[in-house]
Order: sequence, then C-alpha cells, then structure tokens
Amino acid sequence: MVIIKRKELSFIEKLYLPQIFQALSHSFRAMFQPRITRQYPEEPLPTNEVTRGQPRLTLLEDGEHLACVSCGLCEAACPAYAITIDGHETERFIEREPERFEIDMLRCILCGFCEEACPKDAIFMSDELELADFSRAALVYDIDKLKRPREELQGRIDYFYQVNDRWRTPSSTS
Amino acid sequence: MPLPLVWLIKVVLIYGGLITVAAAMSLAERKVSAWIQWRVGPNRVGPWGLLQPVADGVKFIFKEELVPEGANQTLFRLAPILSAVPPMLAVAVIPFAGEVSIGGHVTTLSIADLDISTLYVVAIGGLGIYGVILGGWSSNSKYSLLGGLRASAQMVSYELSLLLSILVVVVLSGTLDLRQIVNDQAGPIFAWNIFALPVGPIAFLLFVIATFAETNRHPFDFAECEPELVGGFHTEYSSMKFALFFLGEYCAMTVMACLTTVFFLGGGNIPWWPDAPWLLELTCFLSKMGFFLFLFLWVRWTLPRFRFDQLMALGWKVMLPIAIANVFVTGALLSLGWFA
Repeated sequence: MVIIKRKELSFIEKLYLPQIFQALSHSFRAMFQPRITRQYPEEPLPTNEVTRGQPRLTLLEDGEHLACVSCGLCEAACPAYAITIDGHETERFIEREPERFEIDMLRCILCGFCEEACPKDAIFMSDELELADFSRAALVYDIDKLKRPREELQGRIDYFYQVNDRWRTPSSTS
Repeated sequence: MPLPLVWLIKVVLIYGGLITVAAAMSLAERKVSAWIQWRVGPNRVGPWGLLQPVADGVKFIFKEELVPEGANQTLFRLAPILSAVPPMLAVAVIPFAGEVSIGGHVTTLSIADLDISTLYVVAIGGLGIYGVILGGWSSNSKYSLLGGLRASAQMVSYELSLLLSILVVVVLSGTLDLRQIVNDQAGPIFAWNIFALPVGPIAFLLFVIATFAETNRHPFDFAECEPELVGGFHTEYSSMKFALFFLGEYCAMTVMACLTTVFFLGGGNIPWWPDAPWLLELTCFLSKMGFFLFLFLWVRWTLPRFRFDQLMALGWKVMLPIAIANVFVTGALLSLGWFA
C-alpha cells in the first residue's frame, strides 16, 4: 500500500481566484492567436504529385484520342469493380480503343491499382478530390469527364516513374 | 407630441434594443468561443456572419414543434414563456441614461422610474426560475426533471448571496431606487460602489459570481449540463419553444449585466464628468454592460463546470457567510461614519 501525501494548498490557492484570472488571461490571449481554420472551398487543401486523387485518363499528344487500348487490365485489377470497359476496333495503328470507359466514382476507393496495372500510361491518379452531385448516375464518369491532356497529369506521371522504377524490370518498361 | 406616444417610443426602443442584444449575444457566443479556440466562427451568412441570428430564427420557426407523450400540455407550453418574460419585464426599470428630450418632453431614459425598482428587479428576476422548473417537470423526462431540480436548488441558494450583496449597495446608497443609486455614484471614479472600500469589491465579486449562477451560465450551468443530462430542462423542447428558453437566458444575462453596471460601476456615469450629454452616458452604460456580457462568454469558454455538491458547498458554506459578514461590516462602518 502506498500512502500518497497530498500537497497542502495555501490560503491563496484555496481561493482559486488567482488561477481563474490566470486562465482568463490565457483564453483572452488566445483570441489574438492566428486562426487555424482552413476556409475550405476558398482555400482548398494543398495537393502535390503524391496526392492520390480520382483516376483520370490521359490523352495522346494529338489531344483527341485516349492512350487507352482497352486491354482491360485496370478493370481486372480494380478491387472495387469500379471500372467498366467496352472496347472496339479502330482504324488507328493500335487497332483497339475503348468505346465505353466508365469509372463509378462512388465505388472507387482511390487505391491506384489501375494506374499500376496500366501498360500504356493511359490512366493516372490526378489531384482532383472533390466529388459531389445530385444523383448517383451523375457520379458514374464516362470518357468525356475522365479524359485529361497529358500535361495536366505530368507531375504525377514523373513521380510514378520515379517510385515504380524500383521494381520495374527493363523489359517491361519498353 | 402626446405623452403616451413618448412612452411608446421609449418602450419600443428599449425592448427592441434588448431583443437585438439577445440576438447578437447568440452570435457573439459562437464567435467568442471560436476566437478563444483559435477558430473563425460563423462567417457565411452576411458580412462576418452578422446575419446568423436571422438565419437561426428562420430555422427555428420551420422546425417541428414536438410535445412529448405524457407531458403536461399546459405547463409544457407555458414554461418557455415563463422563462422568457421575467427578464424582459425586469429591464423596464434599468436607468440607461439621464434626462432625454423626446418631442418636447423631458424624460428619463428608462421605461419606468419606480421608488422601489431594486425590489422590483429582484422580485421579477426571481420568477425566471419557474420557467426552468416547470419546463423540467412537465416534460415527463428524467433528464429534464433532474435539470430542473438542480437549477431550482442552485438558483435558490445563489439568490441569497445575490440579494445580500445588493443589500450592501442599498445600505451604501440609502435608497432602493436604481436611478438614485446611479446618481449617488456620480463624480470621481472612487464614487463607484465597487471602490467603496473595504466592502465594495467583495460585494462586487459575490454579485458577479452569483449572477453566473442565477443565469445558469458556466461554470454553474447545471440546468443544462450537456454531458450528464443531455440538454437538461430543455431536452424535450424544439422549435420556437426552445428558442424562447434561449431568448430568456440571453435577456437574463443582459439584465444581470445592466444590474452589475448600475449597482457597482456607476451606471451611465462618466468619471469626473457628472453632466455628460445623454448620448455619451448611454454609450458609457452600454459599453460597461457589453463588458459584462463579454465576461459571461469569456468565463464560459475558460472554466470547466463545477461538480454539483461543490457548487452547493460554495454557495452555502463560502459565499453566504461572506455575504452576511459583508452586510454586517457595511452597517457597522456606516454607523461609524466611514463612508461619509
């Protein structure tokens, strides 16, 4: 058994008033501290290339066609079954392109597996994070909503190559 | 201009002012709490969030009015009114400033000048507790009942210290008329009752602490006490009935701030300037009142809540003996000619 000796309070301490005034002065000074609130829609969160936002499809340099060849690897890699691809034939050299490429943003868990699975640099995680609409149907994004010029995603693409060089063998990068 | 019209103007001005201050307090509460916690506070409705009380009011009106099953219908509906009306009545005798000329009539800037206005304020202010008790009891909910019981015990015990510290002021001024008490403190700043050494500061401190308990504010807000009693006596209330309780609380705070100013800080008197114009006097009164209103908020967001038995011990074992001794010392010093 341990007997703890409590500190005897002096008369001034028993009055509590000095401590109360000390606390009041502390909270008064807090009123003039810089604010820590972020005014969200006006001041968005800072993002960088490490940010893993919603997946987006890259366009080729012609700015018209997708880099996607509708191989279906991302669809297979997707753990949340968010991606749906219908491919069809094309006269272009790549022979196949997606007719329909839909990502259900309500299912997407922003894991980035699609980006890792893609052999053609066609899908990358962007820094876009905001997701709001009035219906579920509107949140199933089609090609028109997903396509982005390659320059917009360039930061992410560079970062992606930098980190993934660790396990990419030379044959698979070519 | 006929005299009744002058009265009407004064009534509209003072009650309009009171309701405005109460509404502003609901915004100020959130703003000050935000500032103390390094946040920004409501800033979306109107410039700097100034229209937030309007938005809140509109929202309150459109909320559903619930009356719980088994509640006493009449008392349940009566309680919010009983809690909001007494502080509004009490403001009638507060002397905001000296003589004003309205439409050719020279009149004082208070709705009524009673000879016994101190008694009136105390009596009317004591009625406010009925709203809390009845609201807690008629809701047919254990949390509300506990909140109401606690509030009644607390308000009754602290009313004693409140009255005894008012008594010191009454003894010092020799009158029950609030306007006379204010006039008595005109002149240098040392004429204020708070500087009537040695009893003034003690009475002031007791009065301020008791006002916190009387208005159910932190650190004595046992009537609502969210973590223990959900919402206390107003747990079952919704919509405008709930808003009335809030209005009553903020009006009571305003009245208490006014009374502190009148009793201890010389009302609208500006030190060393007894004949100041009425507008300056009014500004002076309102800024003193504003400080005490700010003090309510400031203390709320600084101090934690007491334990209920500690609250009772403080009220009965500490404040009441000091208050009684203070009255006796005042009487003794007065008869010895100390305050002459």
